[in-house]
Amino acid sequence: MSAPAVAPVVKTISQEQIDRYADASGDHNPIHVDEAFARTTPFEGTIAHGMLVLASISEMMAAAFGEAWLTRGRLRVRFRAPARPDDTITATAEALSSSSTSPKKSLLRYAVECRNQRDELLIGGTAEVPELG
Amino acid sequence: MAAPALLSDLPKGHEFPATGLQITAEDALTYLDAVQDANRVYQDRGLAPPLAVAALALGALLDLMELPPGALHTGQQFESAAGVPLGASLTMNGRIAQRSERAGLIVSAIEFEVTVAGADAPALTGKTTVMVPAGAAP
Repeated sequence: MSAPAVAPVVKTISQEQIDRYADASGDHNPIHVDEAFARTTPFEGTIAHGMLVLASISEMMAAAFGEAWLTRGRLRVRFRAPARPDDTITATAEALSSSSTSPKKSLLRYAVECRNQRDELLIGGTAEVPELG
Repeated sequence: MAAPALLSDLPKGHEFPATGLQITAEDALTYLDAVQDANRVYQDRGLAPPLAVAALALGALLDLMELPPGALHTGQQFESAAGVPLGASLTMNGRIAQRSERAGLIVSAIEFEVTVAGADAPALTGKTTVMVPAGAAP
């Protein structure tokens, strides 16, 4: 069975959304929410939480695989560069070969990544989910 | 009460105390609103978004240690072995799985498991990699 195509997720990150994520996650690190502090850092401004950007990849896999992603999904990524307020990010998944974990079960494997509007790689890695059906 | 230890000072093998957690349906909605995920599958199945569980676990771990300025979240893994029901009582266990120092940077990997009350095995396991400048202090 070939791995089904996964529709990309595109969204724009705002500072207001970063602030809401900080409240939801409890991560109020000033690099994310304090513009005056963030300007003094090598990033020269606030950046989005990596987990906020990564959520777009999980959202994409949940949309494609539903409960299978929630109950058996695997994700392994590296954060390569930060997303900044007003960045438009695109999460994509490209099918890789399936891997069999047993004669009856196999996993669908995808190379997943998230890029900004300048095509800079923000997150790259792999996602796995059990075959549907 | 003593201040939490700096992540970069914690040795490989350090075990964090087990911590009780819960994601209510309201928590999940707050999270989904923050990440702009309008998928109904979470509510329809009564299951928490896996990354919300991972974020909750990370938040709990951040309460148990101190991150110095300049700390960078460089890697993240998670694996779901079962869904995490909304509203379930959860226990998070975590430890320092790796610690290395190179070129003025300390890299620590924190492993964690989230187990639903009454379950024999974790519903979600994860690994978070953080890079900290050596000598950084809050």
